[in-house]
Order: sequence, then C-alpha cells, then structure tokens
Amino acid sequence: MSLSNTPRLFEGYEPLPGTFDEFFGPDGKPHPPVEQVVRLLNELDPQAFRQRQKLADTTFLRSGVTFSVYGKSTDTERIFPFDLIPRIVSATEWHDVERGLVQRIRALNLFLNDVYGEQRILAEGVVPEHMVLGSKAYQPKMHGITPPKGVYVHIAGVDLIRGDDGRFMVLEDNVRTPSGVSYVLENRMMMKKVFANVFRESRVAPVEMYPTRLREAMAAVSPGGGSEPHSVVLTPGPFNSAYFEHSFLARRVGCELVQGSDLFVEGDRVFAKTTTGPSPVHVIYRRVDDDFLDPQWFRSDSMLGVPGLVRAYAKGNVAIVNAIGNGVADDKAIYPYVPDMIRFYLSEEPILEQVRTYICEREADRRYVIEHIEELVVKAVNEAGGYGMLVGPKASQRECADFRARVAADPRNYIAQPLIELSACPTSSRDGVGPRRVDLRPFIVTGDSSWVLPGGLTRVALVKGSYVVNSSQGGGSKDTWVVGEPPA
Amino acid sequence: MISRVADSCFWLTRYLERVDTLARLLEVNRSFQLDAEMSSGDRWRPLVVVSGSEELFLERVGAEQIDDAEAVQAYLVWDEEEPSSIVSSVRWARENARTIRETMSVETWESVNDVWLWLRDRATRRLYDRDRDAFYDHLCKQCMLFHGICYSTMLHEDPFLFMKLGRAVERAGQTARILDVKHHALGDTAADRETTVDAAQWLAILRSCSAFEPFFKRSAHVLTGQAVARFLIFDRTFPRSVLHNLDRARGLLLRLQAEENSSRRHRSWEVLERVRGQLLQMDIEDVLDWGIHRTLTWIVDSNSELCDALHEDYLDPPIEALRFAARTAGNPSFHPLLATPVDESSGSGQAQRQG
Repeated sequence: MSLSNTPRLFEGYEPLPGTFDEFFGPDGKPHPPVEQVVRLLNELDPQAFRQRQKLADTTFLRSGVTFSVYGKSTDTERIFPFDLIPRIVSATEWHDVERGLVQRIRALNLFLNDVYGEQRILAEGVVPEHMVLGSKAYQPKMHGITPPKGVYVHIAGVDLIRGDDGRFMVLEDNVRTPSGVSYVLENRMMMKKVFANVFRESRVAPVEMYPTRLREAMAAVSPGGGSEPHSVVLTPGPFNSAYFEHSFLARRVGCELVQGSDLFVEGDRVFAKTTTGPSPVHVIYRRVDDDFLDPQWFRSDSMLGVPGLVRAYAKGNVAIVNAIGNGVADDKAIYPYVPDMIRFYLSEEPILEQVRTYICEREADRRYVIEHIEELVVKAVNEAGGYGMLVGPKASQRECADFRARVAADPRNYIAQPLIELSACPTSSRDGVGPRRVDLRPFIVTGDSSWVLPGGLTRVALVKGSYVVNSSQGGGSKDTWVVGEPPA
Repeated sequence: MISRVADSCFWLTRYLERVDTLARLLEVNRSFQLDAEMSSGDRWRPLVVVSGSEELFLERVGAEQIDDAEAVQAYLVWDEEEPSSIVSSVRWARENARTIRETMSVETWESVNDVWLWLRDRATRRLYDRDRDAFYDHLCKQCMLFHGICYSTMLHEDPFLFMKLGRAVERAGQTARILDVKHHALGDTAADRETTVDAAQWLAILRSCSAFEPFFKRSAHVLTGQAVARFLIFDRTFPRSVLHNLDRARGLLLRLQAEENSSRRHRSWEVLERVRGQLLQMDIEDVLDWGIHRTLTWIVDSNSELCDALHEDYLDPPIEALRFAARTAGNPSFHPLLATPVDESSGSGQAQRQG
C-alpha cells in the first residue's frame, strides 16, 4: 500500500488489552467510521505530522489560547496540550447520545424546578430529602424563586466515557459553570488549518454555531421582553484559570466581558458602569460560583460579586445563566438518582447508561466501599478537576487507608464507583503513537429548546497508563469529529 | 463601553508608548556617547532620573553604577521590579490587553502578545548582548506596528478612541520629559552660550523623539536649545510634539462627547482646554522667560491632572454619580425605599498601573 519506506503513523500501534480502542478493533482493523481518517493520516509521514503538531502548539501560544495555573504569576500560562489525532464518533452512534443528553438535561431541569418549588420528588421519596436539602450546593434562599421560563440549566457539560464494551455512559453532570467549549472551537479551527485535506474529506459535523446558539438561549430568557437585551459575561477576572474562555465566549457571542466591580445594583436593577454612565443589564452569563455572586446574600467576603444582584434576580429584573443553586443537581451523591428522576418526571427509560455508584452515606454501600476500597474509585462529592479523588487500584496502601478514614468520618461527602477501563484513543507522544485514555464532554445549550453541540471536548490522559484526563493533572485535548450521515 | 475596559485600552497604549520612548532613549544615548565629550557622570544618570527610577536604582543597584552604561541599561530594560523598565511596561501592556481581549481584534492582541513572547525568549537575550541597536530597534518598530494594526483591524469606535487617547496623553508627557533630560544633564539652557556639547545633546534629544529630520525640514531651524524646544513643544504637525498631542486628545474627547446623549460636565475637557489654551497663547520667548524646566514641569503636572480627570469622567467614575444617574435616567419602576444599602467594597482585579 505504501509507496515509500518511511514508517506510517499508526504502524506498530497496539491497543490496550481489556480496553475499548476508539480506532482499532481487536483484529487490528480500524472501525468502519475511522477507516478513512486512518488512511488519510497514514499518508502523512511522521516527520510532517510532528511539524504540524509544532505549528499547532506555537499558534496556540501566540494567540494566547492558554489557561493559567493557580497561584503563579503571568509567566505560568500554559497551552492546553492538544493532540492532532482526532477522536471519531459515528453520526449514528451520536444520534443516540444526543437524544440521551437532551433527555437527561430535561430531567435535571425539572428536578431543579421541583427542588426549589413544590419538592414533589422529595415528598414521594424518589430522592431522599436529606440528600438534597443537606447538599452543600443546595441554596435554600433560592426556594420559591423561578428563573425566566423555568430554565435553570442553560449550559450543561455532561462527561461521558466508554467502558470496555464501547458503550457511552454518563460519568458526571456539570450544570454549574462547565468549561471547555472554547477549546472545542479553537481545536476545530486548528484542525482545519493544519489538516485541511483530511478534514475536507471526512465530512465532519460543524461546531461553529455554538456561539449563535448560546446567544439565542440568552436572548430567550431575557426579562427585557422583545427589546434587544444587554447581555454580559461575568468573569472572576484575568487571574482565573479559565479567563481565556470567558474572554473567548464574550468575543464570539458578541457581548461585553465584565467583572463584578463593573456592575452595580440600583433600585433592584443591574447596571454596568460605562464611559457614558450607567447602562441597564438584562442577562448575565456568569462564570462566577454561586457563593461569590452577591456578598449580601452569600459570602460576605466575596470581592467577585455584585451586591444586590440576587434581589434583582428574585424580582425578575435580570436573568442569571446558569441559574443559582444548580449545584444540587450535579452533586456527585445525587447523580445515582438521575435515572429515577428521568422515570419520575418524563415517564421514560433513560437512554444513556451511567456508572454503578456506591453512596457512602448508605450503610451497606459504605461497608462495601471500606472493604473494597482497593478496587474502587472514591470521589469527594463537591470537588472537581480530579482533586479529592482516590483511584484504588493505582493507590498505595497508605492512600487507601487515608480514604477509608475519610469515608468513615464524613460519609455524605463521598461516593465510590468501580474503576472503568476508559476507552483509549491513538495519541501522539514522544515514543510515537500510543493508546491513551479519553473521556468526552458534550455541551448542551438550552433556551426555548435544547441543542447539543456535535461532538464536544475530548480530554485525553497524556501520561501513559493514566486515567486522569483533567488539564490540571497532565491532561490534554483532542478535536472530536462526528462523521457520516445521521440516521434518517 | 465598560469603564474598566476603557481604562485598560487607555493604559495599554500608555505602556506601549513608554516602551517605545524608553527603547529609543536608550538606543540614542548609546550612540550619543560616541560623539560628545562629556564627563561620564552626565551620560546615563539623566535617563534614570527622567524614568522616575533614581531612588529605586540607588537602593537596588547603587550610586556607583548610575553612570555605568551596562548597569543602567540592564536595569531599565530587564529589571522586573523596576516599574518603569521595559520588561515591566511590556508586561503591563500585555496584561491590560489580555484582560480586554474580547474588545481587541485578534491581530491587535497577537501583536502585543508577540512583543511579550519575544522579550521572554532566550534568543532575544542573546540579541541584546550581541546587537543592542537591533534589539532597541525591534522594540520601537513593534510598538509602531501595534498602532498600525489597530488602525487597520479595529472598529474606529470607543475602544480604539481610548487607545488613541492613551497614546496622545502619554506622548505629550514623554516628549516633555525627554526635553527635560537636557536640564538634568547640563542645567537650564542659555541660548547665547551654547557649546558643542550642548549641540550634541540637543541632537540626541531630537533623535530620541524621532525628530531629527522633521526638525531640519523647518528651514529656519538652527540647532539651538531654543529652536529644539520650540519644535518639540509647539510644532503642531510633528506627531510627537506636546501641542500636536493635545490637539489629538481634544479631537478624541470631542468624538467621545458627541456619542453621549447627556450634557454632563466633563472635567477632563475643562482641564485640557485650559492647558491647551494657555500653550496656544505662549511662544518660545515666554517659555525661556519662565524657564524651560519650569514650563516642562508645568506641562507634566497638567498632564497628570488631565489623566485624573479622565479617570473621573470615563475610566473609573465615582459610584455615587453612577447611582444618581441610574436613579434619575428613565427608570420608572424605581422605588427609593427599595434601594439596597450602598456597599462600597468593590473588588479590583485590574492590572496594575502607575503613572
């Protein structure tokens, strides 16, 4: 097949045993949707491939597509490592994922309306009341306040993984301020730049309409009525690790990026401080956590928020995207109940599976977790970024003992799951192309209806053998291609 | 536009202008050393003085080094703790730009980021050691490139206007400061007894303002302190003269006011009109009567008064004025009794600025 003697990109690639490989079957042949991409990439010699990788890296650095590492000076901005080999999902498979995600977000949104309203699901005992009301993320002050059009979850990022059988399942929900979509759009732009021909021939579903969908969703919930809403993105500031994304979204959505100190509340209305005086604000896409939004309501020491914002929100004078109090829906200890929520609110069976989860607060579960901690992944329920987590099979005796003690001392704060052999995708490394584990974060935008970005952010554990894909812990990203014709 | 964003636009160009000015000053001063027969004590200290860095230099480097070409350059270029150093100015220019990236064109942002990445590159440090002129030259050109890119890629509306305003205000002040280098090197000028050293010094000042050839296009100009001062203060067509930049600032303020549909009072306008009006009525004889150093000091002080007023009017307006305007401007549903208690604790994640 090859005309020259240079080694092909995928030559000598060996899938991980006992793991679903995103590209190759156990027989070493590529899955049908991947065939074409494998062929096209194999036409490049590894030297040319490396040059393109270098081009991608310097372009990201130049254009400042970076994240900053906490607690360091401006010098510690890093590019989010980007791997040029795309992750590929067939349109047929994606079709089901999409339906499953929309279903899930509908249920979570109804759950939030219920929890901050009638609390029917608690009364009927489908989700234990104390689990919900006792969640750190539950905001009792939000009870009785309905956001415009009842939308709580305007933007969701649901983390999906594939187990060894290759089926997608939900690992966790993110309905507070999920990040990463800017990398999806930047990665796509980069792939078009460095792999124009591969891209052109692969018929990849576009992602570029995300900002438009977001703008429409924000306009849909504007309390200003028909008039052109004044929307802003609220950021904690340039020292936040995701500042690039906040700025990117403001730019693409075409609205202003503000910090808390740029806004003030007068007469229960929100205004921006502008060069020509105060200017009314109708929609705030906030990337500031609940607790920091309004020092009059939540943390009084917050310098990031806007005093009086919650009153303005409660009066219906401003829409806050995502709504306040959403954390109760993506609490890791509430997650095991989502399939029941779907059945309860929608009278449907869940389309997407999810991971078996032990709730340490339940005595039987806790006993099991403590006895089998070496086989399990234990997670603190309110941590993100791969922190507060134990990967039992990879941990030392001491780490396991430490987590056993933590679980025993504060069971409500922990859940455990079996270690899933996350699927692996061919990824370039210093020693050539090798299998690295991946997950997938699709984004769902909801205004008048829900829309799912085709694909999403594929995060990859760049360290050989690692299961941790978080950018703060040696993770990188890939462009995700949904290819082929969706079912009619 | 958001006041904080306007503030960053304004400061971004001010910092870049400082980089441009200081790089050219250092470059010119290096070659000037080859020409003039001065005691070495007059060669480098004035640059440290006009950069406003004397005190910190003495404390951090020491008095014995203040005439040392390498020590002064290393300090004014690379010292990260010296707020006026080139590396600090580039850092803050870039930090302001990063904070307002959504406002700038991609090309504009990249051109600032490029300067920063270039300055952090090890190869640049080698260039500095090997070919100092090329190093300074590159910096000056990058700053000019920035303005060209802005001009060609940004909407000519508020953010752009505030960037231009920052540059005009900074330039007016910088030109006054450079002119004052002479005072710090040789004392106040006396037109009737200028020496070759004076002439060389004036020449260096012209070159520091990229004014060498423009100056000699004014045919009547012979190289005296009086002529140079007249040119750098009063020539309205020279893009770095004090008056030219005040004219520009005036034009920019008029445009900003035209976009506002209120008739509020602008203190910045009043300050500018006063200073500019006063300069327009003066000529170089008045300056000499009053003393060049004194005149320049007045210009620099007026300039900072103008900046304060700009902050009050546009860049960081007092919250009470904003609240008052919010209460009174077309806000029918406002009930005074519902007003939340005033909370003055507003966080400041803003990039540092000084000047």
